[in-house]
Amino acid sequence: MKTGSVTGKGSTDLLNLFLAICLLMFSTQLHAAQVEVDPSNWGLEAGKECVKCHSKTSAGLAEQWRQSKHAEIGMNCLDCHQADASDVDAIQHEGFTIATIVSPKDCGRCHVVEAEQNSTSVHANAVSLITNRMPAMANNLAGQAIIDAGCAQCHGSEVKVKGDGSLDTATWPNSGIGRINPDGSKGSCSSCHGRHAFSKAQARDPSSCMRCHSGPDSPDRAIYEASKHGMAYFAHKDKMNLDADSWVAGKDYVSAPTCVTCHMGAAGKLPSNHDVGMRNAWNLNTPVSEQQYLVIFEDGDKAEIPASQPVPDSGTEYTKIDGTQGTVKVVVTPDRRRQAMRMVCLECHGKNFATSFMDQFDSVVELYNEKFGKPAQSIMIDLYDKGLLTPAPFDEPVEFTYWELWHDEGARARHGAAMASPNHTWWEGLYLVSRNFYAKFLPQVRAVAGDEADALISRYVTDVKEHHGWLDNPQKGSPILGYGTRKTGDD
Amino acid sequence: MIKFAVPAIITRRVVTALVVAFGSGVVFMLMLIEFDHLTSTEEFCTTCHSMELTASPYRESSHFMPTSGVRATCGDCHVSEGVLSATLDHIMGTKDLFKQLFGPDYDNPVVSSLHLPDAAFSARQWFRDRDSATCSRCHVREAIAGSRADTAKIHLEDAEGKSCIDCHINLVHRKVPGKETFKRDAWNRMIEEEFGLEPGMADKILKGEVEPPEITAEVN
Repeated sequence: MKTGSVTGKGSTDLLNLFLAICLLMFSTQLHAAQVEVDPSNWGLEAGKECVKCHSKTSAGLAEQWRQSKHAEIGMNCLDCHQADASDVDAIQHEGFTIATIVSPKDCGRCHVVEAEQNSTSVHANAVSLITNRMPAMANNLAGQAIIDAGCAQCHGSEVKVKGDGSLDTATWPNSGIGRINPDGSKGSCSSCHGRHAFSKAQARDPSSCMRCHSGPDSPDRAIYEASKHGMAYFAHKDKMNLDADSWVAGKDYVSAPTCVTCHMGAAGKLPSNHDVGMRNAWNLNTPVSEQQYLVIFEDGDKAEIPASQPVPDSGTEYTKIDGTQGTVKVVVTPDRRRQAMRMVCLECHGKNFATSFMDQFDSVVELYNEKFGKPAQSIMIDLYDKGLLTPAPFDEPVEFTYWELWHDEGARARHGAAMASPNHTWWEGLYLVSRNFYAKFLPQVRAVAGDEADALISRYVTDVKEHHGWLDNPQKGSPILGYGTRKTGDD
Repeated sequence: MIKFAVPAIITRRVVTALVVAFGSGVVFMLMLIEFDHLTSTEEFCTTCHSMELTASPYRESSHFMPTSGVRATCGDCHVSEGVLSATLDHIMGTKDLFKQLFGPDYDNPVVSSLHLPDAAFSARQWFRDRDSATCSRCHVREAIAGSRADTAKIHLEDAEGKSCIDCHINLVHRKVPGKETFKRDAWNRMIEEEFGLEPGMADKILKGEVEPPEITAEVN
């Protein structure tokens, strides 16, 4: 693993310098951005017509809006839904030219900073990120209907406007976080700030993240609920000040951190940021975890680079997520990202506490990697290289076993350690990885590899004494767990 | 006994001529009424094959099969009330007949679909010019109750100064966007995709540069 160019350890001056760089790097303002657009820009007179009718046709929706901050400051339907007749998705509706979809570009007319931060985030790129994985997972194991109602509802659809002006029903309704909108913008603000109340409180509540970050793919819901942080949150939700304009951890609330607090929230001097992925030092959703560098391009786009790959210099060309080339502006090291995350911890925890917690987390990731992730990956690569498995994923049972090992179970163990749920780190996580590895994966590998199995397994597993040496002692029973002959017991 | 002097001009022949003329007039008007009725029926309109393509979505609309059983036929919506206006509408309508006979092959579903938006725009304008008069033959604003809450209220409070057609489009025939937001390019691509044509074919068909493909209409 490569380390950051500046560690800051052992020198307060260096640390301060480093933190200053961090702040510059990670954002442009300290608190949630205030809208700086003049109020004369909203409150369109014609929009009051919409309200009159929609208070009757869709009373619930109108009432949500009426209770919102938007209504309070005099904004109405047309301010967000107005469209130019030439817009791809413009429609004529009761005498008004409007668009159904309000995209981040529309929200960004007022919420300039948030829209800009989000536009290059891992969330906004959620479609590009899975485009290459989609064919294997979604098309082979499922089908288009699942892509539309499953994958795309979290990752986002590419909304298609039909020639008759209607939105293709396969692609809309959709509030996936990386939705590709008819105006070309990426993302969906209402994914977290649900329409039509657009509540800050809702977005700050873990439930808004849990809609997608739950289940095997991203098991964070259950993990947060089972963690000390979740425990504190649910016990003291009423003290969380979720509706406040300023929401700085340690200042405006102290009861518990939510997902937002650690991944994008303001804490002490650390500013908030609508780019949610910047504080992640590790990639935890890969067969083998690696620390990751963040490449920021001249135009603001971003990309992640695993630490094992060469890191580009500033000013050089590098491939973006969507496959196009961009000029690198700056590369942020995993340590810097970790440092930013730790600033949140420090609002409530001591420095040693925070650092030691992260040591425990890192150790779990490394244990997973070395004991299970890397050997399983190496064995699979050898099986493909030797032609013992066909290259197509999921057409052989061991491919499902391997997938569940690193993806379902392995990711849960690693996320569990990252967010302090002991239960998910072990019983729901690494215990399942271990059981799978020894009792399912290796037997299936033996079946597939035949004569070559012994060589393969001893090379990656049984010869690695540090992790798998216990297999050399088959006579060592454990009566208390019910293992062993009668003779090893009392008689 | 008083004798009325009949002007010399009113001869027996003149009287006969007047009676015949009056009778003919009555018969003519009755014929016009019958003619308008006959030429307003679905059976008559769909004698042109192209109209069958337009009628097909109509037969799935609520104007064809409402729960009340009150069916609106072509003429109920598209021909004005009153024998003179109705006759005028039919005379104006003969331009469509000329186009059917001498214009593009509207019987071809591709050609029909490509021209549909323009037909829709002019039909909507026709409704707007008459303040949606033919809608009012059956629908009375004060009497609209609807099945959803507040439908009545909306029609009384929010529809003030509006004509039915301002809000209610795409009720009966195939959906066509409003004229201002209509994108010919997107429409053509949609039709091409629908009929499996090469991109750009639609534009050439519209310009008459290529013959439309032979497609047998699927008509219910």
